[in-house]
Amino acid sequence: MNGEPRLHVDIEKCLDPFRLRVHLDVSSEILVLFGPSGAGKTMTLQSIAGLVSPDAGEIVLDGRVLFRRQRPGVAANMPARRRRVGYVFQDYALFPHLTALENVAFPLWRKSGGRERARALLHRMHLEHLADRRPEKMSGGQQQRVAIARALAAEPDILLFDEPFSALDPALRERLQRGLLEVQREFDLVVLCVTHNLEDAFAIGDRLAVVHEGQVTQIGAVDEVFRRPANLRAAESVGMRNLIHAKVMGASADGVVLDWDGLTLEAPPQHAVPGQMAPGYIRPEDIKLLYADRGIGEALRRNQVDGMVVRREESGDFTTLFVALPNGHQIEVCFPSYTYSRMQLGVGSAARLSLRREGLVLLHGPLSLDIPPAGSIQ
Amino acid sequence: MSYWNPALLSLKVTAVATVFIVVVGLALAFLLARGRFWGKSALEAIIMLPLVLPPTVVGYYLLRVLGSGGPLVQWAGVNVVFTWRAAVASSFVVALPLMVLSARAAIANVDPMLESAARTLGSSEVAVVFRVTLPLARRGILAGAVLGAARALGEFGATLMVAGNIPGRTQTLPLVIYDAVQQRDYGLTNRLVALMTVLALVSLWAVRRLGTMR
Repeated sequence: MNGEPRLHVDIEKCLDPFRLRVHLDVSSEILVLFGPSGAGKTMTLQSIAGLVSPDAGEIVLDGRVLFRRQRPGVAANMPARRRRVGYVFQDYALFPHLTALENVAFPLWRKSGGRERARALLHRMHLEHLADRRPEKMSGGQQQRVAIARALAAEPDILLFDEPFSALDPALRERLQRGLLEVQREFDLVVLCVTHNLEDAFAIGDRLAVVHEGQVTQIGAVDEVFRRPANLRAAESVGMRNLIHAKVMGASADGVVLDWDGLTLEAPPQHAVPGQMAPGYIRPEDIKLLYADRGIGEALRRNQVDGMVVRREESGDFTTLFVALPNGHQIEVCFPSYTYSRMQLGVGSAARLSLRREGLVLLHGPLSLDIPPAGSIQ
Repeated sequence: MSYWNPALLSLKVTAVATVFIVVVGLALAFLLARGRFWGKSALEAIIMLPLVLPPTVVGYYLLRVLGSGGPLVQWAGVNVVFTWRAAVASSFVVALPLMVLSARAAIANVDPMLESAARTLGSSEVAVVFRVTLPLARRGILAGAVLGAARALGEFGATLMVAGNIPGRTQTLPLVIYDAVQQRDYGLTNRLVALMTVLALVSLWAVRRLGTMR
């Protein structure tokens, strides 16, 4: 954590399948809450915003007690409207009966100069041309920027984002990630951002908190959480399989060449700096078993490796094999069970794998604000 | 027989009844759409009863409540039976369910997330109702008000029992039609029947417009 903690959260709440117990101290930074859906991330945001009440604990923001309940009785539960907590909802929750400008001016309706301030915020978010448009006539990215402008209009001390990039295409995603970073720095906000997408976490997070079944299992700098073995397990426990930490040997428009502890891998063209270590992953579905007696398609010819099956798990229609590789790592392969029955692969069998080149994803970030954006903001 | 007097009386009764229908109906619609309390379904059933009860039964209940020996006379010392105010009461009771049904559906349809968003933006609960919930439910509320007004205008059975059929004092348009048919004055009957039919069609058209409008 850099700087003084501004937000202190220490809450408990009984949820149906588990108990939410979250302890966080956040300064002026972007903290990403990372974990699978249903882990309690959104409930944490709603508790901070005052939309739900925890069973016990306390929430303090810049010295103001937003919530405090020790065992017997309630001592303090500030209503949502006085908390100065900005909330950007997953589907943005713009008021459908109001235009973009009226949405942004919503918190300012009784302030003099409110409309001018709303106009300035729209301008700040590069949206002045949409001032008179209703939300239904806007794209998802435009709606999100209106939602951010509207939250900023209420002059919050903290901004909460619930899955801000989940519904957007990749090019737009990067632009909006950059926008979020700029807003955080410019307004010196505490930002909490919920996501189940590791790429988003890498791109915007100053720090990462891994949430699993209501508990924060790891918290720290994003690449640190990724790199340390103990923390790696935490990341894996929330659904990230086959994490790879490899050295970039070369990067060009044709692709990226990686050295993963002695195993040479090819990845599609993406941002990578030769000589640096790069974290990445490949989904179990993107690893194919190769049949000895069959031809191999062009797509699977690269990234071949021989390994040995060390464990096998079956769940429903899918079989997962854990294969030990010659470079000392273990990798997970997932495929439909009917394929497996024909292959007769048991523990101890040799298996030839192909790590699909297109499935190899490098995680880069945090995004640097010095590099000009990939596309201009429309 | 002049029908201007009954028409004005009908207008007055309907206008006053509609004001009550909208105010009370909105409050009940909010209670039923957002509230969670013991006896909610019983309250709902009581409000909806006039939709299915025979008009004479509703009229009799109203007589017991409004008439001599009823609480209104006992506690307030006001007897409204056989005045135009009784016609307002019967129109109100009979038309209220239409307003509550329509407004409740419209309010329940408003995404609670939008109300939460307004709260995080500094809105008090009152402001949330007037700046978010009501504007978003306005079409269903208007449709309920139009339907309720149309039903109030056409109220006959319960009105006959509590307000009577006193020409010039409590005789509304539907009662005039009843008398005109009794006296075989088909000229008057036809004109009034046409008027009532047109008014009903116009209100149904308005409700339809409200439902499909964006």
